[in-house]
Order: sequence, then C-alpha cells, then structure tokens
Amino acid sequence: MTKYMVDKFMRWVELSDERVAAYVDDPAGYVEGWLGAGAGAEAASDDRELTAEEQAAFAARDYAALYALGAHPYLLWHFTEAVHAHEFTPEVGWRELVERYRAAVAPQGLVDYIP
Amino acid sequence: MAELVLAAATPHNPLLWRAMRDPMPDDLQGVAAGFARIRRAFAEHELDAVVVIGTDHLRQFFYDNSPAFVVGKAESYHGTWENEVRTFGMEHVEVTGHRELADELTGRTVLPETIDLSVSLEWRLDHSFVIPLQYVRPELDLPVVPIHTNASMPPVPSVRRFVALGEHLRSAISSWDSDARVALLTSGHMANDVGGPRTFAGSPDPEFDRAAAAWMRDGDLDGAVSVCSDFERLLDAGCMTYQYLNAVAALAAMGGRPADFVDVAESRFASSPFFLWEGKR
Repeated sequence: MTKYMVDKFMRWVELSDERVAAYVDDPAGYVEGWLGAGAGAEAASDDRELTAEEQAAFAARDYAALYALGAHPYLLWHFTEAVHAHEFTPEVGWRELVERYRAAVAPQGLVDYIP
Repeated sequence: MAELVLAAATPHNPLLWRAMRDPMPDDLQGVAAGFARIRRAFAEHELDAVVVIGTDHLRQFFYDNSPAFVVGKAESYHGTWENEVRTFGMEHVEVTGHRELADELTGRTVLPETIDLSVSLEWRLDHSFVIPLQYVRPELDLPVVPIHTNASMPPVPSVRRFVALGEHLRSAISSWDSDARVALLTSGHMANDVGGPRTFAGSPDPEFDRAAAAWMRDGDLDGAVSVCSDFERLLDAGCMTYQYLNAVAALAAMGGRPADFVDVAESRFASSPFFLWEGKR
C-alpha cells in the first residue's frame, strides 16, 4: 500500500523548486514534517504514511533502497536528479549521477512498482 | 466534412530541448532531420487543427486519479510544469484549445459507443505535448485537442483500446460537419527505460525497436497488436516503452496502411521514432 505514498512524496517534492530546496536542506526533517502536516480538510484523503524503512530511505536520499521498495522508476529518477543536482560540479555532474543510479538499480532488475 | 489529412508520430524526449541546438551535434542530426520532415508536412498541408496524443508523466494525472484516456476540452492550456523548466530547460507556453473539435470527439452529451473517454477542462500540458508541438509547429498557432493516454501507470489500457482510440478519431473527424483539415500528432518512444535498470544507456531493446519500426513501415497493425498485447514483453523492453502504443493509435487512425515516411534515428539517447502518413494536399 505504501508504494503509493512513496510515489506521492517524490512527486510532491519534485514538482516544486521550493520543495526540492527545502528537502535538500534537511531531508529527515522535511519527511517528518510532510508526514505530520496532512493535506487539509478539502483533500480527498488526509493520509500520509511511510514505513520506517521508507522514511529512512528518504532521510538518506537512498535511491537504491527506494527502488527496491517499489518506487515508480520514472518518478524515482527525476526525484533523484532533482535532489542531487545541487552537488554537481564541472567534473562530476549529470552523467556520473546516471552511472551511479544505474549501477545501484541494475543488479535489482525490474522491481514490481505497481502500487 | 472535416478531413484527417495527416498523422505523425515523433519522440517527446525532453532532453532534446537543451541538447538539440546549433551547431547541431553530429549524433542528433538524424533526430533534427526527422522533426524537420514532420514540420514540413505540417506546413504544407494547410492545417486548421491538431489532435495531439501524448502521455502525461505523472504530473497532471497520478495514481490518485488515473483515467485511461482523457480528452482536453479547455479553451486554452498552459504548457509545461515548474519541474520541467528546471530539469529540461523548457519554457512555459500557451496553447489554444479547439473546443468544437473536442466536443466532436467526446460527444457533447453522451460518449461515443466505441470508447469511454474522460474529459478535462483544466489541464497543464507536460513535455509529451509541448515538445512535439514546439518541434513540428514552432509557431504554436494551430488550435489543439490534447488526448492523454495512460501508458505509464498500470493498469494501462490494452493495445486494442489504443486501436479503438485511433479508429474513433478517424471516424469522428470524418463525420464532423466542417471543412477543417485536421492532423493527428502522437508522441512516445521506442524501447525506453527511464529510471529502470538500463536507464540512459542507448536503446534498451534494439530488437523491439526493429520490429516496432517494421509494423509502421509495413502497415502491420495485426503484428503490432499481437506483440503489444503482451504487457510483460513491453516491460522487458523498458519501463516506459508502453508509450510506443501512441504510435499504434496513429497507425490505426490511418486505417493500418503503411506509413509514407519511417525513420528511427539513433543518437546518445534511446531510439527516436519518426512516422508520417500523408493524405491529399
């Protein structure tokens, strides 16, 4: 069930420059804040929950773990790109992140990502 | 009556937006030439409207509400999202809608017998709509009806439903009491694995790519349906490969006849499909 919440959190962060910056500034604190905030009375649902393992993976920006947990691959890559881009240097940039990401997920093959 | 005068399938790879600039890199010459061929057709056919089939990438439509096929009925659309401006360097654009044609496609009061379409009157178009339009019609001066197909959030519609969509578009356009000349522009991918184990490593499945190009070149709708009925086979070709079915919808819209132009351009990216069917001018 919580695969959906993993996807929902990634999408929430990645859609907004401001939220990407806030998450990057304090990943663990941001996840905790998101879980506690709720969506408001007008939302279809106010449920926000992650397992301890999922929360730890977000706190550590651990894309290998998130992939193993069934994150949607497309969302996961763009989330990963968004929350690591500030670390790019002229020597180590997008291509290196791609290589690291692929090296992390390739041994896992295709994981069931359907929530 | 209105006429479907051409159909085209292109890539919508948003990484092209930064990469495909003058001086054109050698490996992207083929992609640029493919877009130029389609752009020329759009210019030559004196079009009045464009139906644009794409697949929103979990921006507008997500797992909280994921319809199979959505037809845009808005008067106008904002193009692209904040994250696509950041990630791909895309620009915000405005695109005019074609409300009358949208009503023809969905029915105003009752949906068509052959396919259950959803509708949206408030929709921000992502790169799968904006990128193809910007490359084949940079002026963005033709009114559009966008159609989202869910090809990335299983459960997805079967390939036969994509065929039904294409056939419905042809039928609805040809029975529209109008002298409008309409184009169908679809976009998607060949084998593609963004975020998967073979992400950004060229084509994840050249064998699928060869077969997928042949179905268009030969007008082999049965062949396309036969293989694409197997979701696991397409997943083996990459986690985002199902968007190829948008081209199958174009093949069906053109009666399953061979495309007049077929090119699959190789570059640093996954293979880039260009398929074009032209009618009379």
